[in-house]
Amino acid sequence: MARPQQELVTFTLDGREVTAPQNMMLADAALEYGDVEIPVFCYEKKLGPPVGACRMCLVEIEGIPKLQAGCSVPVKDGMVVHTNTPRVREAQQAVLEFILINHPLDCPVCDKGGECPLQDKSFGWGDGISRFVDPKRHFEKPLALSPLIAIDRERCILCYRCVRFSQDVSEDYQLILQERGAGTYVATFDGHPYVAPFSGNIIELCPVGALTSRPYRFRARPWDIEQSGSVCTLCPAQCNVSFTVRDERVLRVLQRDHEGVDDGWLCDKGRFAYQAIHVDERVTRPLLRDGGELRPVSWELALDTAAAALKRAGARTGAIVGGETTSEEGWLLQRLMREALGSADLDSRAGGALDLELHRALGAPALQAAVPDLQYADAVLVLDVEPIDDAPVLDLRIRKGVRHGGVRLHVATSRPSALDERAAAAVRFAPGAGGALLCALDAALSRAGDLDGAAAAAGVDPQDVRAVADGLEGDVVILWGERLTHGPGGAEAARALLNVAARLGLAGREGAGLIEIPAGTNGRGLREAGVLPNAGPGLGAAPAEGRDAPAIAAGAAAGELTALYLLHADPLTDLPGRETWGAALEQAATVIAHAGFLTEGVREHATVVFPAESYAEKEGTIVHPDGRIQRLRRAIGRQGDTRGEWSVLAELARRLGTDTGVRAPSMATAKMIAEIPFYAGLSLDEIGARGVRWTERPQAFAFPEAPAGPFGLASPQAAPAANGRLRLGTFRSIWASPEVEASPALKFLHPRQRVELSPADAERLGVAHGARVAVAGDGGSVTGIAHVRAAAPAGTVFLETAIPRDSAAILDGPLVEVWPA
Amino acid sequence: MTDILLLEGIDEPGLATIEGYERRGGYQALRKALRMPQADLVDQLKVSGLRGRGGAGFSMGMKASFLPQGDMQKYVVVNADESEPGTFKDRELMQKNPHQLIEGIVIAAYAVGATKSFIYIRGEYEHQADVLDAAIAEAYARGYLGESVLGSGVTCELHLHRGAGAYICGEETGLLDSLEGKRGNPRLKPPFPANQGLFQGPTLINNVETLSTVPHIVTMGAEEYARIGVQNSSGTKLVSVSGNVRRPGNYEIELGMRSRDIIYGLAGGPPEGRDVKLWFPGGSSSPVLTKDDLDLSYDFDTLAKAGTMLGSGAIIVVDDSNSVVDVCHKLAKFYAHESCGKCTPCREGTSWTVKMVGRIKDGTATPMDLDIMASVQDHIIGNCLCVLGDAMAMPVASMIAKFRGEFEAQIEAARERREQAFLTGVGA
Repeated sequence: MARPQQELVTFTLDGREVTAPQNMMLADAALEYGDVEIPVFCYEKKLGPPVGACRMCLVEIEGIPKLQAGCSVPVKDGMVVHTNTPRVREAQQAVLEFILINHPLDCPVCDKGGECPLQDKSFGWGDGISRFVDPKRHFEKPLALSPLIAIDRERCILCYRCVRFSQDVSEDYQLILQERGAGTYVATFDGHPYVAPFSGNIIELCPVGALTSRPYRFRARPWDIEQSGSVCTLCPAQCNVSFTVRDERVLRVLQRDHEGVDDGWLCDKGRFAYQAIHVDERVTRPLLRDGGELRPVSWELALDTAAAALKRAGARTGAIVGGETTSEEGWLLQRLMREALGSADLDSRAGGALDLELHRALGAPALQAAVPDLQYADAVLVLDVEPIDDAPVLDLRIRKGVRHGGVRLHVATSRPSALDERAAAAVRFAPGAGGALLCALDAALSRAGDLDGAAAAAGVDPQDVRAVADGLEGDVVILWGERLTHGPGGAEAARALLNVAARLGLAGREGAGLIEIPAGTNGRGLREAGVLPNAGPGLGAAPAEGRDAPAIAAGAAAGELTALYLLHADPLTDLPGRETWGAALEQAATVIAHAGFLTEGVREHATVVFPAESYAEKEGTIVHPDGRIQRLRRAIGRQGDTRGEWSVLAELARRLGTDTGVRAPSMATAKMIAEIPFYAGLSLDEIGARGVRWTERPQAFAFPEAPAGPFGLASPQAAPAANGRLRLGTFRSIWASPEVEASPALKFLHPRQRVELSPADAERLGVAHGARVAVAGDGGSVTGIAHVRAAAPAGTVFLETAIPRDSAAILDGPLVEVWPA
Repeated sequence: MTDILLLEGIDEPGLATIEGYERRGGYQALRKALRMPQADLVDQLKVSGLRGRGGAGFSMGMKASFLPQGDMQKYVVVNADESEPGTFKDRELMQKNPHQLIEGIVIAAYAVGATKSFIYIRGEYEHQADVLDAAIAEAYARGYLGESVLGSGVTCELHLHRGAGAYICGEETGLLDSLEGKRGNPRLKPPFPANQGLFQGPTLINNVETLSTVPHIVTMGAEEYARIGVQNSSGTKLVSVSGNVRRPGNYEIELGMRSRDIIYGLAGGPPEGRDVKLWFPGGSSSPVLTKDDLDLSYDFDTLAKAGTMLGSGAIIVVDDSNSVVDVCHKLAKFYAHESCGKCTPCREGTSWTVKMVGRIKDGTATPMDLDIMASVQDHIIGNCLCVLGDAMAMPVASMIAKFRGEFEAQIEAARERREQAFLTGVGA
């Protein structure tokens, strides 16, 4: 579907001529182009087409005898609108009177009081007097709609925005209206709690105090708080947020509507995990291992110890950089490593190095689609990524495209996806066989090559691959997961992906392209800042090629590396190869970690721990998967003794004899930008509050070129034969993060091991849904709760990674055994 | 006044079976219609002047002509959710002559190019649903329904769907939502069903009586049909007369008959010694008329001019043994109960009105409440999403306007009764 055309029309609004895009709803056009507010309650553009339920927006349009709902009348050329005649005023007053007759006047104790649209509208358009003397409607209140949301049905004005969100936006279909007439109330179908990945959005949608955040309830009034805009760094979707701050504490997170990023929605992790900023478990002072235990020490001692240890290790230092690291921190770290220590052993990718040429080809600006393209494309291919877990807010964007834009959606993943129900076709390939699937797709698109062989290697039906290939017409956006390029087959998978992109003609095509969802939030920014073993800043050639993450683990385990620097990374939970990493951390003489929480690897092995800033405390930039450079702003003072991590990195470099010249976070930004040719000329001011897609700037031409295919592809290796065992697939749940575990309100969502099986395998193994099962691989065994999924492919079992206990990282695939525990 | 079309031979045994219907010449109109070009059929419907019999009185031919041409999936939906208090004409038509309706549906579906049709029947009409189910099966067996109706190549599928007992599902868009399996709430219009109706497809939605009339128009010819009745109100109409009359029931009249002749002539008027106090000319949602209005011609335009409407043709007669406040209370309670709750003025206005009338009855109202009541009705009328709010507000407003004296007297009487009861209670 093409993007909406912006044809302008002129209409008369209260005697003035106003020009606005044709067919824009009158309420929007009046506000945006005519500076006249037509009051609304039920109308919310983000929810889709208007429903005209609250009747608050009644206005007079010449030539139409009845008053019209301004929310649902598209503006037309020559239309004459009156919003302030006695007749309109009376009708609006009347609707407000109707709304208020059953609304309790408990504003002084209501969370919404002071930031309440109903209050504002009552002041602006109400009569100020109620003629209603009868008893109001009563409900039991407040009730827990879920552990996160309280519902006060007496305050509800039945605009049913929340119900529409649940049905038409998140499509979880949990909220409904029960009963009818004045007895109508919002509920879930069978009274179960409304638990869903995006449930918190209804709190912000509610125009009254009927839906309130339980963690925020009674914590502050609007006059106690300040709003501070920044970006959520809990996943690669990088939603724009606004922190509600009271007394240097973050009390709430609200959306900061950005059409190019989040479309104004947040997932519940982004909305509620702020609680982890203010918990006792957080590391807020430097720690030093002393007699086997981590003890708080002074900054001076911690820095001295770290600097001395690094000096001893010198080039025998390896560094792992986690996704929540800002580009500046990554850039400083690579200077610390390369210049101060002379080591090139640093990596921000978990799955092993990829050829620099391939990094360049995949990251080329001409090939990058933007987030809104997901909504306006003709076809979207979701490839080896589960948006709901890996970049949740994009799940909503894709659904919106399918629902309103007629996007043809194809899903190609190992594990059944939440988007399957909306997909024209879904293909299930064997875990790790994404490259083979792409080979097959390449063959189908080019009508050459061994489609059947590649499909067999991927474990899919060639017909299904053909169906996907046939559906990829017009503007195609491929949303793919970084894991596709992990492991030994990663390079071949990358080449196959480039082939597919070339066959589809995605390069340079407006509204089409690739979007890579990296494994970590700022995966893209870190690569561009030079946090790769084989690339410097700007994806330039590195002076010396170093070890990638698996090689660093092996090197440390073998005693070749003696110091490990973990910048926001815990290899034991975040990276594959847990056994090697265990040995590496054990062997290393020094392990320096920047950490917010003492996760297993840090707790057991770190010798020095520097407290990590939370994202509400950080200054710096991160890069969105679609190339948008976004700015983190400090919302609160650093907690405890935490220092700016840029300064820790700069200080260590200084003590090791390298003056980075960075004296303030903005200097780090400026110096980094100066080293990245395709960022040239950028400034924090230009990045501003909405970010800048560097791929759209003229300077993008400076991005290093690389051959983009088509390449000749080797026949992919077949997925391992199961031999009575099951293939192991892994996934990282949206809720698998230390922030979720540490947030009191979200803790209930923190996952335990869930073993996903197909019904056929479950029956064969005698495993019942909900029963405890054991899973054993070469590396060890774990137990978990069996989850029988009808859509799961037979022969494969899926387990969670990145959880503290029973993580799939303990197992070593590719084949595992499962039995009832 | 000898034109009996819809109710002709209605009580003949076996009429509900296909043999009985065919014996009376049934399905001949369909054969004739299938030989006519579709556009001619729609024209015929326009020329006949047939206006919708469900309540709104919109020209059926016009409505049919609004459906877009083209190959998209179109639908005919029959509104058999006869829920308006006082209305029971469709029940008799479906129960006693189901094939007349089916024939009308097939003709209409052919005319507008719809291949799928649905009858949405109110849940309480269990027996009628059984009769229709049997009739539909018969019609399929005889080839009047199916992939190729009577071998003509015209496809017409017909399904019966039972409602679950909500008045709002008689509102056409609420009906469509309900038929789609959703909560039966009215939709925002436009788009109108003719463009985007059932499952977003162009949909012709008509009342049972309207579609039952179609075969007669085809048989006798539109011009002939248009000669029945008066200007702008052609044809015959079923009226359901109920309330305080001696012979309640369905009567088929020629539009333009004098109202007094219906109420007194056909239905026998109120019992001995009683007089008409007020009457609803077109179902409980029509503004009330008084005994002074009995000489009005019973047709669409005359009643509209008198500030009310012909509606579904349900005449409810209230004699002078009744209190207008009771009538008002019952009526308001019905609509408050049936309001779907989607739009504010209807949801809140109906329940507020019930509370206010309730206070008149229990002696806690003041004459000022009457002004508030009248103003609340004003605020409902024309401001709602659908017409359900108006359906309460218009008759209530008309009762307050026409019987204000009685309201005031009852406020005072109830207040005194309450005072007395209180004084007795405290032993004064």
